[in-house]
Order: sequence, then C-alpha cells, then structure tokens
Amino acid sequence: MAVYKKISKDNLVQFLQELTKDRILIAPVREHDLVSFSPAADAGQVDFTFQNSFVPPKSWFFPQTEQIFSFRIENGKYELSEPSLPGGTVLFGVRPCDLKSILALDPVFDGKFDDNYYSDRRKNTIIIGLGCQSVGRGCFCFKVGGGPLESNGADIFLTPAGGDFLAEGVTDQGTDLINKQSRFFSDSSAEQVDKEKREGTDRLLKQPTGLKGDFNLPKLKAFLDANYEIPYWEELSYRCLGCGICTYLCPTCHCFDINDYARTGLEGERIRCWDSCQFKDFTLMAGGHNPRPSKKERVRNRFMHKFKYHEDRYSIFGCVGCGRCVQKCPVNIDPRKIILDLQEVAGNE
Amino acid sequence: MSDFQNPILPRMAFITNIIDETSDTKTFKVEFEGGGKGDFLHEPGQCAMLSIPGVGEAMISVTSSPTFKDFLEFTIKRVGRLTNIIHQLEVGDQIGIRGPYGNNFPYKLLEGKDILFIAGGFALAPLRSLINYVLDDEHRKDYGKVDIIYGARSVDDLCFKRELFENWPKKQDTQIYVTIDRAEEGWDGHVAFVPTYLEELQPSPENKYALTCGPPIMIKFVLQNLQKLGYQDDHVITTLEMRMKCGIGKCGRCNIGSKYVCLDGPVFFLDQLKQLPQEY
Repeated sequence: MAVYKKISKDNLVQFLQELTKDRILIAPVREHDLVSFSPAADAGQVDFTFQNSFVPPKSWFFPQTEQIFSFRIENGKYELSEPSLPGGTVLFGVRPCDLKSILALDPVFDGKFDDNYYSDRRKNTIIIGLGCQSVGRGCFCFKVGGGPLESNGADIFLTPAGGDFLAEGVTDQGTDLINKQSRFFSDSSAEQVDKEKREGTDRLLKQPTGLKGDFNLPKLKAFLDANYEIPYWEELSYRCLGCGICTYLCPTCHCFDINDYARTGLEGERIRCWDSCQFKDFTLMAGGHNPRPSKKERVRNRFMHKFKYHEDRYSIFGCVGCGRCVQKCPVNIDPRKIILDLQEVAGNE
Repeated sequence: MSDFQNPILPRMAFITNIIDETSDTKTFKVEFEGGGKGDFLHEPGQCAMLSIPGVGEAMISVTSSPTFKDFLEFTIKRVGRLTNIIHQLEVGDQIGIRGPYGNNFPYKLLEGKDILFIAGGFALAPLRSLINYVLDDEHRKDYGKVDIIYGARSVDDLCFKRELFENWPKKQDTQIYVTIDRAEEGWDGHVAFVPTYLEELQPSPENKYALTCGPPIMIKFVLQNLQKLGYQDDHVITTLEMRMKCGIGKCGRCNIGSKYVCLDGPVFFLDQLKQLPQEY
C-alpha cells in the first residue's frame, strides 16, 4: 500500500535523524565543491543543493575497493576470514536516474550466484529517492525512458514542492517507515503528488537542454542486433583516449578486478576494485591473446553493453541518462550524439 | 556476515599428487581436508577458480571426470605469474578452489552416438573429463564408437601419455590417433598437424558428434575440415577461454556479445558460436 504525505525540510531532517538512530546514513555530503554519497554523522550535514553526485551512489552497494577476505597462515594452514558488512543503512538523496541504475545492477549481482557483498548491503538499505529541481548539463534521463521525478527503485520518494517535499511510500517498507513516523508528516494525496510530479516534469523539461532529435532505443537495439561490424566504431575510437572515466562514473557499470595483497606472504587480503573494459589489459590472457586488442573493440563493447547486451541479458537498458560520462569525458565523446549518429547510420542502411 | 554461502570465497584443499605431463605442464590431484571432493560436484567440461591467497586466482578446467569419485584433477600449463607459483607447489600444499562454474559437455545428448574428439597440445585437458566419463565402465555402453585424434608439437608436448598409450586404447570400440607436428628421433607414430591428420583419416559424420579443443589456429582449420567432411554445425562442439576474474557473470570481462563465457560457456556448439560476434 502506497502512502502520500507532505513533509517540511526541517521535519525531513528530523525524520532522517530518527531513521538513523540505529542505522548508518549515507547521503550527499559536500566537501570542497564535490558532492559525494558518504557517511553523514548527522542528517544536518546532508546537502540539498546538489544537482547530482560526482561518483554515483552505486558505490554504496559496490564500493570502489572492498575486501573479499583476509587470510593468515597458521601452523602451515591458511585461515580465511570474511569482512563484516555494514548493517542497517539509509541511502538518502538518490536521483531518479541513479535509482533506475540500481534496478539495472540488481540482476547482475543476484541470479544464480548471489553476490553477498552487494546483496547484504542492498537488503539492509532503505533508499530514499529525491526528485530533481534542475536539469544538468549532460542530463538525458527523459530521453531513455526515465524522468526527473520518477520514483521507481526508491523505498520512499521525495518530490520537491516549494520549500517542502511530497513523500511517497513506494515500497511496503517505505510506507511502513512513513506510517511509523507520521508525526513528521502532514496529509497529501495520490492526486496531489501526481499533479506536482507532472507539472514539475513539464517545468524541468522546458529548460533548454541543447538536445535535438528523438531517441528510439528499441529501434537502435534492433540495428545493433543486426550490425556488429560498422566503420563507425573505429572512427569513434580515434578520439577516445581509453582513460576509462566514463566507466568509473557510470552508475550501471559493474566491471571489477580481483587482486591479492600479501606483503609478508604469511598474511594478506584479496580485494576487488572497479575496473574498466576500456583498458587493454582487461581481456588480455596469460598466453598473450587478446579478444579486444584495440580501442575500436573496447569502445564498441561499452556502447553495445549499454544499448544491447544489458538489455539482452536483463531486459533493462544499461544507460539511465545520468550524463556523468557526457560531462566528464576529456574528449567530449557523448553517448547522446552516438545514439543520434547510429540512428542516422541505421536510417541510411 | 552473510547467512548464505559466499560464491567468491575459495575453500582450501590439498594437493595429493602431481604428475609432470610435459616440461611446462603438470596435473595436480586435489582433495579437500579429510579426503574426497566434498560437495564439489562437477559435470564434464566445467571449470573451477583455483587460487593461492596472496598471489591470485585463475579459471582452470576440471580435467578429471566426475566418475573419479575421490579427487579432482587440474592440468595446468606454466604461462604466467600464478601458474608459475602453482608449479612450485608440492604434495601436501594447499590450494584454494571455488566452483564448479560454467555449462558442461552435453553428455546426455551424446548417448547412443559415436564421438570424435579432436585436440591439440595442452587443450586435451578439458576434453579429458568427458573422455573418461564416456569410457568409464559404467557409461561405455551408453555411447557408440569413440575416436580420439590428438596432436602436439613434439613427443614431450603430449599430455596424459599413460591414458593415451595404455588405458584408452584398451577400451572397447575406441581408437586413438596420435600425431606430432615434426618428425623426431624415437617416434614411429604419425607426423602431421592435427587438421591435416583429420583430413587424412576422413571420419564419417554419420551418427556422430565432433568435439574439438586446441589453439585458435588449429581450431580454425579443424572446423573448416569438419565442414568439408560433412559435419553439421549443430554436431560440432568446442570450448572457449577468456580472461576471467569472478567466474560468476559479474566482473564483466569474459563477454562475447551478450554471453558470458563463465556462465553461458565454456562449451558452445558451432552453430551457437556463429551467432556470436567474432570477438574471442
């Protein structure tokens, strides 16, 4: 059962303080102009002015580096121990694009082999989504099936309304938490929330985005299904530096490396850390063979993954339109332009 | 700590025997503490992640057949940092294992059929799990004739010599054809590259599946020759290798198009392979 309420900003901070009495709070925190999803000692530290974080909030469920196990050799035998994972957590302030990215990551990390490190955190985390108040320079969620006030993926979703917020309990857990702390909320209705979201979306999408042309992802995918070898990928790869920033900042990229560290040989750890399909070593085999030896194959792999492979495997596109790669690519490779280019190539076929 | 089993945490097992196959390849017999395979129950063709804590991990095919009840075997060529260190291990040393991973050879589908195995060099290792399964006394009656064409650069590079020259030829309806690339002193067997030997032998495709594994250049010509002999793409089976880290479809590096070799492979029929991008 969904629930629709209204909450003032002061009460929202108190609500968060209440929720995080026995939970960790991970929220947008500003440090020297950089906003990141970090542990906040108090809900008062939460930044409400951010557009979106530099690093996506996937880093809470899937940290940049994390220990898989530590080991020591005792009496000639290896003793392995798993790290303890964090308990109850509130992940606050996740934007709609990033909410959707978590839904794209879930099927990667569960499935036949459930990844505890991700799943434990996911199970123990309440996600509070926060609607957007402006459209960023690279934003295009609304072009890839999302929207700046889409609540999918949150437990509780907040739509900014004047200085206050309209609150939706999206999941049963979210609804329960609002009902239990009803003293912080005043009444609203599904109609009011819906109206505010519709009008808010219209208002936001009227802002100039510099985006021309319509995207048709199913049609794009059909083209990619049928066309693997096209000269376009090689052309695109000339410009790419292979730096991998697009993959590190992508909220749906999930590639990782596993490495061991043991300074003494008697104790050490195995860790995993984010990795990138843009690097040559990523697929280089011990015998010297490399299935993706040049940037052409690697650039193609990234875009095919977002607009074909992820959809093939999990029935959800791997791009949520957050725009981080658009903003941060040092040579301005822009997936929005790539989509339009490929649609043009497809049209000419 | 999670209450379910952690799929990327290895379990430590012990090396109980080591066989020198060639100058750079060894077969390690592995058992869990107290003996046996524990709950590591694999199918022919599946793989495992082997590791040494503090050094690293690699995906290795399980070369022993599931019909070997009490142990696992891994045939490992010295090619990199981890395999170099594994080669220095001795009987009694520990090694980490997790798995089994991947799909397997379709041994049920092969029942009642003749089987042609074609392997080159060290790549006999993944096929060996199925060969020993099919030739096992309990299963031999379920399969037709078995032909094994196997070649290596030199006599030294032939793996599993005891099985090749002593055990397998004694099995019912089983022919072993061994070849080396260049003539050498003391070798009175066949001399030819594997694809050429296949062409000479001309095994009929009738009621038969062909399974092949070897270096990419060998595979390329073997597949061409099988086609010439009339083998259909859905009757030709091979296995692929890719660099892997997680082995469970999450780390993202072993994809060929939308398929992950660690989950959807390593075993592919040729008609399936032809559907995939040629990026392997």
